[in-house]
Amino acid sequence: MLNRRDTLRGLALAVGVASTGWAERALAAAAPAPALSWTPTALTADQARLIDVVAELIIPATDTPGAREAGVPQFIDRAVGDYYDKAQVDQLLGGLARMDADARAAHGDVFVALTPEQQVTLLTAYDQEAGVARGQGQPHFFPALEDMVTVGYFTSEPGATVALKYEPVPGAYHGCVPLSEIGRAWATR
Amino acid sequence: MANLSGRARRKNTYDAIVVGSGITGGWAAKELTQKGLKVLVLERGRMVRHLEDYPTAVLDPWQTKYPQGQLPKAELDAHYQVQRRTGYTMTEYSQHFFVKDDENPYTEENRFDWIRGYHVGGRSLTWGRQSYRHSPIDFEANAKEGIAVDWPIRYEDLAPWYEHVERFIGVSGQAEGLPHFPDGHYQPPMEMNCVEKAFKSRSEARFPERRVSIGRAAHLTEPTEEQLSLGRTKCQYRNQCIRGCPFGGYYSSNSGGLVAAERTGNLVIRPNSIVTELIYDDKLGKATGVRILDAETRRDEEFHADVIFLCASALNSAWIMMNSTSSRFPNGFGNGSDQLGRNVMDHHLGVGASGEAPEFADMYYSGRRPNGIYVPRFRNLGDEATKRTDYLRGFGYQGGAGRPTWDRGLGKHGQGAAGFGAARKAALSQPGPWSMGLGGFGEILPYEDNRITLNRDVKDQFGLPTLSFNVTMRENEMAMRRDMQAAAVEMLEAAGFKNVKGHDSGYAPGLGIHEMGTARMGRDPKTSVLNAHNQVHECKNVYVTDGAAMTSASCVNPSLTYMALTARAADHAVKARKRGDL
Repeated sequence: MLNRRDTLRGLALAVGVASTGWAERALAAAAPAPALSWTPTALTADQARLIDVVAELIIPATDTPGAREAGVPQFIDRAVGDYYDKAQVDQLLGGLARMDADARAAHGDVFVALTPEQQVTLLTAYDQEAGVARGQGQPHFFPALEDMVTVGYFTSEPGATVALKYEPVPGAYHGCVPLSEIGRAWATR
Repeated sequence: MANLSGRARRKNTYDAIVVGSGITGGWAAKELTQKGLKVLVLERGRMVRHLEDYPTAVLDPWQTKYPQGQLPKAELDAHYQVQRRTGYTMTEYSQHFFVKDDENPYTEENRFDWIRGYHVGGRSLTWGRQSYRHSPIDFEANAKEGIAVDWPIRYEDLAPWYEHVERFIGVSGQAEGLPHFPDGHYQPPMEMNCVEKAFKSRSEARFPERRVSIGRAAHLTEPTEEQLSLGRTKCQYRNQCIRGCPFGGYYSSNSGGLVAAERTGNLVIRPNSIVTELIYDDKLGKATGVRILDAETRRDEEFHADVIFLCASALNSAWIMMNSTSSRFPNGFGNGSDQLGRNVMDHHLGVGASGEAPEFADMYYSGRRPNGIYVPRFRNLGDEATKRTDYLRGFGYQGGAGRPTWDRGLGKHGQGAAGFGAARKAALSQPGPWSMGLGGFGEILPYEDNRITLNRDVKDQFGLPTLSFNVTMRENEMAMRRDMQAAAVEMLEAAGFKNVKGHDSGYAPGLGIHEMGTARMGRDPKTSVLNAHNQVHECKNVYVTDGAAMTSASCVNPSLTYMALTARAADHAVKARKRGDL
């Protein structure tokens, strides 16, 4: 694991996490992870708590609700139970195990116990690593998790109706409307 | 029928039997019952009642069982190896309107994407709703070019029936005054968005012969008294049509033809009734009824009528005829021409171009328009200017412009921007850049050796023989595809779009879901199965009015033509029956 740890540190330095604006905003928005308010059915409590923390880093609460408030961790727990195939479950759970292993190797504790800065540094490294893997045609757990959080969030009621705009029965079509009058992307097509 | 008591026989006897309840079965039922006939509609699948049986129609995105309503891979692998091939049919929202492939096998000597739904209403619940008339040149092309056989009718024969159908189903659209793209009876057109309007004016300035119109779609924009009285209302721009419409905003058998037929008091619908063969009486020289297999009891039963309409879809109507052998018809019902099952056609698609329109970044739209733009055929119109030397016939484009929403962020990692965090969330909460796409729908010529055959070696879940497919694309279609891509690129570039890219994602026969031609109409019983009124040449009290009847495919979506042929044939049947000619 030594090599991986060095790689992660190197990647984090290379992308200059501390100096990027988005990361600062993400850190500012990140609150200490509360205890789980629900009981997972497919995940273990530790896995669910880790997903809860990572989901909120992927889609943090801002002026609109974040992944936690939108129930994304529960959404992923359900997907693990009845939607994912074995390869997807293995990829996700393997990724979760790796995050804790990397956290321990770098900082001596599990991922959820790290500071938000340390967590973001690790995620940034995974994101970069996934870009390399993509170029080589290799699967990577992190983009799959990011996508699942994104789907869970924007198809949730808060995601669709607060972060986006949702109109179940539009009643009419207007083809040329200033974006400023609508303000956000439509939740559905 | 010696073992059938007189009473049982009377109980199972109607004036007319309609096989199938989809877009043509619904029309046959409506026309025949409204003209006073007692009609039995036999549907192989389950009952689907308008409104009551659309379980997903009002699901919100957060109410699906699975992420985005996508089915688990194991379920797709087990049941939907073919039905998944469209990429859009097999979701939680609409899976109940498509068959399970493992229960309905067929053999692909060459790949054929047979997308189907076995239930009352059939594919009229899930169709694309684009409604165009065939043009005069479509009906003349075979004769002029020496392809296959001549249509036994011309545009003028069908024009009043197109109008009849358009008035009942309700079609929104724009009259264009083009001879090769005949106008119909339209409710107000849907609106183009900013980018489509710009595309229209700029592309037409460069290519005036390539008219850009709004799609002609079977949606109510100004419902008539008749439509309202059936319980249908205006399209609400939800664009969730494939789930069944709780407003009756688009036309389906379930919301239209079958409702009108039921109100006459002359209709009986019998679901779960798989018609296995036509019963032919040698002495009478006509068909006396049909034999069914009850899908629930697994028992055979017979039903009788003076007139039989086959409206089971092109491939299944042909299947019934191929499976109906007798001493009179040893090679299949009415198949003295050996044309039954041949000349399988579809529309080839999956080729076109797209481009971006950054200058409209401050504009958006509201409502979800269940329709796009349409560019009617502009090649080989009979003059020198539009003549192609590399292929016959032509194609139309369907397309539209829009702004992608949040899901453009999926699968995009490692492409520069970070895959997580507040900035990404904010970006995905705004619409993405405008893009416009054009996708061609091309005419496929009728080839005798593009055929289906009855396969007695492979049986379905009921022990019935199945179909085997051997249908391929030829040189004419491949040459047309090259032009379909090039001309789309040309138009988008002429209209000033950025980052214009042509595409050809490939096409396998069937994917247009417009299968047709398996019992073609023609003038000569030696070379065609049906006559000018959709009667089987060799058995006049059997009419086939679905896609099987098509002598050529045109490039426009075919359902409107199927409906018009059905209404015309029903009128003929009622008059002929009254005269005692059947």
